[in-house]
Amino acid sequence: MTSGSKRPETDLGERLRELDAPESPGNAELMERMFCNVKAECEQSDRSIRGFFRSRSTMARRAIVLSVFAVLAVVGWFAFPLVGDQARTVQWTISLVTFCVLLVIAMFMVTRPVHLPALPRWQSLCLVCIALGATVLAAFWPHPAAQAATHDHGGSVMAGACMGVGLLLGIPVYALLRLVDRGNALGSLVAAAAAGVAGNFVLKAHCAVPGTSHELLGHASVAVLFVLGLGLVHRFVPAK
Amino acid sequence: MASSTPKSDPTDEELMDAYVDGDEAAFRVLFERYAPILLRLTRRHLRDDELAEEIVQQTFFRLHGARNDFRRGSKLRPWVMTIAMNLVREHWRRTKRRKMTSLEVETQAAPEADFMPLELRQRSELLHVALEKLPTSQREVVELHWFQERPYAEVAQIVGTSEGAVRVRAHRAYSTLKQLLVLEIRGDE
Repeated sequence: MTSGSKRPETDLGERLRELDAPESPGNAELMERMFCNVKAECEQSDRSIRGFFRSRSTMARRAIVLSVFAVLAVVGWFAFPLVGDQARTVQWTISLVTFCVLLVIAMFMVTRPVHLPALPRWQSLCLVCIALGATVLAAFWPHPAAQAATHDHGGSVMAGACMGVGLLLGIPVYALLRLVDRGNALGSLVAAAAAGVAGNFVLKAHCAVPGTSHELLGHASVAVLFVLGLGLVHRFVPAK
Repeated sequence: MASSTPKSDPTDEELMDAYVDGDEAAFRVLFERYAPILLRLTRRHLRDDELAEEIVQQTFFRLHGARNDFRRGSKLRPWVMTIAMNLVREHWRRTKRRKMTSLEVETQAAPEADFMPLELRQRSELLHVALEKLPTSQREVVELHWFQERPYAEVAQIVGTSEGAVRVRAHRAYSTLKQLLVLEIRGDE
């Protein structure tokens, strides 16, 4: 009897034990075949970049992701001009901090060790909804109107450009998170949301084109496209 | 890479440590120890031999990928069980098989049915159907507590909840199973 446990009564116990069917003949062959399959799959995985990243310890995987995020953020921050002083409002700062927090949470979810119980689906879906909500909400905190005078761009053209840049910037983030993901449920969707948030972070920090409509069309749409696009891919092309 | 196992009859944890250090033979021994247990577990849950084999293989594949997370002093069994249960749960989620009607369930072949006497096969079939009627959360607990003989504390660790919640689930599951069996016996009479 297992310590600290209370077994059901004998009748039920006997009936449950009946389900432990005797091992069939040829089991050794089956085991050998299964082991060969596992070995082949492991060896194939070890030779790939994805396998290399996935087999790092969880601490190493998280350090890799955080390092890449940090390098990209620092390079982007100093290499490209930030929005003007007038645009650096409290709302702007809050938006950037929120995006950072969401990225870190997504990173923790995606790199969750597989030997721990899987997170409930609602937690992943919740993060995706919050990420989308945050990008839309950030669009309603546009830069002061005074900034508009300094930028004489066609709004729709610039929205398209911002969307393109955001999508391009999000792709490496998505790829990195997929590389370190050992197969968490909904990991693809969480990575897609993170990619959208990363794109929005850069656009929010650097894009000085004012206006809610521009931010909705050019910025928030990045996250929506990532989530919907990859969500649909995930829906119709299920992972192996 | 070394090719010998650490020593005669080593523990699971010693084998895993050896495997993390590069001893390929230790992985084989671990596979020989755990694969039959996992195969029985997955067959009971999925009632599909091919799928059960696939999930067992995936469990070891994931164990291989996660080997660098294994810390000396940790217990291996909860690791392996958690990975397997996560995969089974993910399978249920993907296929939504829990919503299948009991008729569909009954038409499926019982695991290793060919090697069981007819009466035992029928009783086993009824028990499988009874287990199918349990919610997944309770069924997992029965699997780990009864079939795998794990203490409640370890079951709680594997399914990711408190020991108290596991005790409640086990109590409810065993009560439900007993009621179902009483109904079955009355039906036979």
